[in-house]
Amino acid sequence: MKPSYFISFLLLVLLQVVLFNHLHLFGAINPMLYLLFFVFYRFESDQTLLIAFSFLLGFSVDFLSQTGGAHTIATLTTGFLRPLLIRNAFGITVETPQSFFSDSRILNKVFFLILLVFVHHLLYFILAYFSWESLILILIFSLLLMGVTLSFYPSKK
Amino acid sequence: MQRILNALLQFKNTVLYLFLLLLSLLFIYNQSPFHGFSLEKYGFYFSSKLFSTSKNISAYFNLKDVNKKLTEENEQLKNFELKENDILLYPEALNQKKRFPFRVVKAHVIKNSFQNQRNFLILDVGEKDGIQPEMGVISANGILGIVHSVSENYANVISILHQDLKVNVRTTSSPAFGSLLWSGQSPTEFHIEDVVSNAKIAIGDTVITGGMSSYFPLGIPLGKITQLKKNEGSGYYAIDLSLFSDPSQVYNAYVIENKDFKELQSLLKKLPQ
Repeated sequence: MKPSYFISFLLLVLLQVVLFNHLHLFGAINPMLYLLFFVFYRFESDQTLLIAFSFLLGFSVDFLSQTGGAHTIATLTTGFLRPLLIRNAFGITVETPQSFFSDSRILNKVFFLILLVFVHHLLYFILAYFSWESLILILIFSLLLMGVTLSFYPSKK
Repeated sequence: MQRILNALLQFKNTVLYLFLLLLSLLFIYNQSPFHGFSLEKYGFYFSSKLFSTSKNISAYFNLKDVNKKLTEENEQLKNFELKENDILLYPEALNQKKRFPFRVVKAHVIKNSFQNQRNFLILDVGEKDGIQPEMGVISANGILGIVHSVSENYANVISILHQDLKVNVRTTSSPAFGSLLWSGQSPTEFHIEDVVSNAKIAIGDTVITGGMSSYFPLGIPLGKITQLKKNEGSGYYAIDLSLFSDPSQVYNAYVIENKDFKELQSLLKKLPQ
């Protein structure tokens, strides 16, 4: 376990709760920056620890912004599915050392980000609305917010 | 134990995920009334599905009991039906107190035949159920025969599809009576003999039991007249009739006990031969 994970964890939660939850872009959209944690977390690090971290991450955001529990479930599930997303985006397993793809193409990284954010946002909005009638709304919101969130990410990541 | 632990360690990520998911579901259930309500709705939906499925399954296994209850109920209703048959013919007899000596016992046909000229049935009731020889046997829509002999648990019945069996019948329109007997071919085609030719009957009349045989009460519907020929020479009709129900395809039957049977027989013996 590296202390840098703790620092980034705390920073992201604070940023999310204090700053990004009050942005209200176009009236309603708050980008979810705390997902960057899944990008910072090194690919070869322990997956079990990541699941615990993602639960804590979602829980703290939920707890500090007084939302029901949608963040927790969406983040936890995204953390659990991350190896699958990595395999889809990069075509390699988690066990491959980081150095292998430090020079991998930017397209793979963008694709990974899109997958990650889309899975998370889809889950989040399904849980937030919790009814099949608003499925179209869920999809629209997921895609819209995905675009906004992605635009906030460092472009060179 | 070691194997279980190994399996747990192998799938530790999944187990951890499911555990934390359960935790967060509990969290969301307690935190937000809307989500709690929705989750309860799903829970209710699944539990009601489950209960209705298990109910259907248990209902299937209870069918035998239900069937038994229904046949018992039918037995009672048959008793009433037989008692009230003649009110259709003589409506003025309504509300008059009358003696009805017949009683119905339910039974099942366990052996039946119709290929021979003299057919027999076997019923699953016997002496134990109070069955005696010379009792009438009916089905839901007509008569089946007359009990010939009984053992402890079974009864042997002379089928109505027997060339020597004659049953006293009449029509609903006329009290003139005759004898029903099987033509020996199709199990629903019968002849009626000995109906005097001045009686007013027509093709299509309903034939019922005549109530003069001490085996069957008056008014059990049997069939319809299909052919009618006046035989001028003999002074009797030659009548063909087709039954409402095929006596070769019957499972549920009712044995009719006439409580006055012995009294009637002893009275008949006193007549000068």
